[in-house]
Amino acid sequence: MSVQANSPSRAGRHAAGATPPTPRRASPARRAAALLRRQPIATLLPFAVVIGVWAVVSALGIFPSSFFVGPATVFDSMVDSVRRGILPAYIQDSLTRLAVGAAFGLGIGVALGFLIGLNRYVRKFCWPVLLFFQAIGDIAWLPIVIIWFGFSLTSVTVVIVYTVTFPLIISIVAGLDAIPTNLLRAAASLGASRWRTLWEVYVPGALPGVSSGVRTGLGYGWRALIAAEIIIGTSGVGFMMFDARRQGDVSHVFVGMAVLGVLWYMTDALVLAPLEKETVERWGLVERIGR
Amino acid sequence: MTMLSVDQLNQVYVDTYTGEATVAIEDVSFDVPEGQFVSVIGPSGCGKTTVLNIVAGFVDATGGTVRLQGSPVSGPGPDRGVVFQDFALFPWKTVEANIAFGLKTQGVGKVERRAKAQEMIDLVGLTGFEKKYPHELSGGMRQRAGVARVLATEPAIMLMDEPFASVDAQTRRVLQQEVLRIWEQRRTTVLFVTHDVDEAVFMSDRVVVLSPRPSTVRADLSIQIPRPRSWTDMHTNTEFVRIRRELMTMLGVETGVETGSRSAP
Repeated sequence: MSVQANSPSRAGRHAAGATPPTPRRASPARRAAALLRRQPIATLLPFAVVIGVWAVVSALGIFPSSFFVGPATVFDSMVDSVRRGILPAYIQDSLTRLAVGAAFGLGIGVALGFLIGLNRYVRKFCWPVLLFFQAIGDIAWLPIVIIWFGFSLTSVTVVIVYTVTFPLIISIVAGLDAIPTNLLRAAASLGASRWRTLWEVYVPGALPGVSSGVRTGLGYGWRALIAAEIIIGTSGVGFMMFDARRQGDVSHVFVGMAVLGVLWYMTDALVLAPLEKETVERWGLVERIGR
Repeated sequence: MTMLSVDQLNQVYVDTYTGEATVAIEDVSFDVPEGQFVSVIGPSGCGKTTVLNIVAGFVDATGGTVRLQGSPVSGPGPDRGVVFQDFALFPWKTVEANIAFGLKTQGVGKVERRAKAQEMIDLVGLTGFEKKYPHELSGGMRQRAGVARVLATEPAIMLMDEPFASVDAQTRRVLQQEVLRIWEQRRTTVLFVTHDVDEAVFMSDRVVVLSPRPSTVRADLSIQIPRPRSWTDMHTNTEFVRIRRELMTMLGVETGVETGSRSAP
């Protein structure tokens, strides 16, 4: 049985047996290349079908072209906008905002999630407040945030941090609660200290919760970003879409939507999925998520 | 020398919904001498697992004391290794890392840890599966790892809570013999909880029989079947057949009496 050189193939890893549990750090670009090399048809075919249907619908001329444009037109707009440097700059702006907001949100969410999940008193105190604020959706914060911080990056960041944090906390608490009692008993009867139990039982045991929380949190954060950019943005993908609408430029609205979808797909395929594959899926804690 | 001494154990539960108090364990006392293999059996719901959980330190008793080598125990500790019915292996650790975990908590160095873990892996017959994760193993293999994890730290006593209840019947017979083979090599003191009369008689030096809830010790039988024992000649062994019949009658298996409720935690 050959040892896998660089492909993170699941079957290969299992058969090889002697692969160390710590994965080799592959850069996103290499992962993208590997993804396309491994399953180009499986990855691209569903999108080809969607684009095909889209092309047919637009070619049939059911909707006037000022409302609904075909993939070719959208592609032209995209190329044009890339050539003028607008789209890359806007994508960079959006991603930077998301990265900053998500980094703070993940940091705060993970820390609070473990604190609330592990400490009875903190949980009792925080849980009602948590549920209360969970009900105030991201956009509901925009009016007050704009008053406080103006039309600034701070406002956008605050909203993203807020949206990322809450689902993450709730998901981590649920993940910690789902750790089987007997695993904690086993650790205790093997003489594990509190810190060892935290690092070697609670943290890995809560990873399914962390990973689903990160998914939900980033998904919400991404949407919140677009909403924030529409309302307070001066640049970014959300701003581009809303600006295009103002000028009656449907094809750029479509470009924005396509960009959102592609970016999220890439976030999943290049960051989230590989991490899950090496941890919670590898350990048999969760089935493969949607793949 | 007495390794474990359970003295006038008493356990009362208060139902969180009805507020009703239930006496799970009325009064249970027994001793386990060093090196002995003692089983606790009883009808389902009699609180035998609760007795084990109290000895392990997972559950606080309402009354009575548990002494290990003369000193009272409270809370779980590495002197009492536990083999769980659901294995309770850490899913995120390989077989080797699971087995070495107890050594790690004791501060044993990496090289020594690995050597000791390997010795245990070989002892329980998991050679070649060191780098597998628990979900990649069969139930029987997982429990081998569970036993190895406990034995690696050389506890004063090994507590086994229906350890073979989650594996299929054939594997169970094999594991019972395997555990006896390992036990005969190491002579660790064992407290073994089971609802399976055959298993109790086959494995043990002594069987402590608990009554239905609220439980008391109903009988304490010594089993004089020579070791090594094997299943192939057990059903023609007159001693095995005699004790088995006695226990069956005691537990009401013959008359079809069944108390029904699931055993308490």
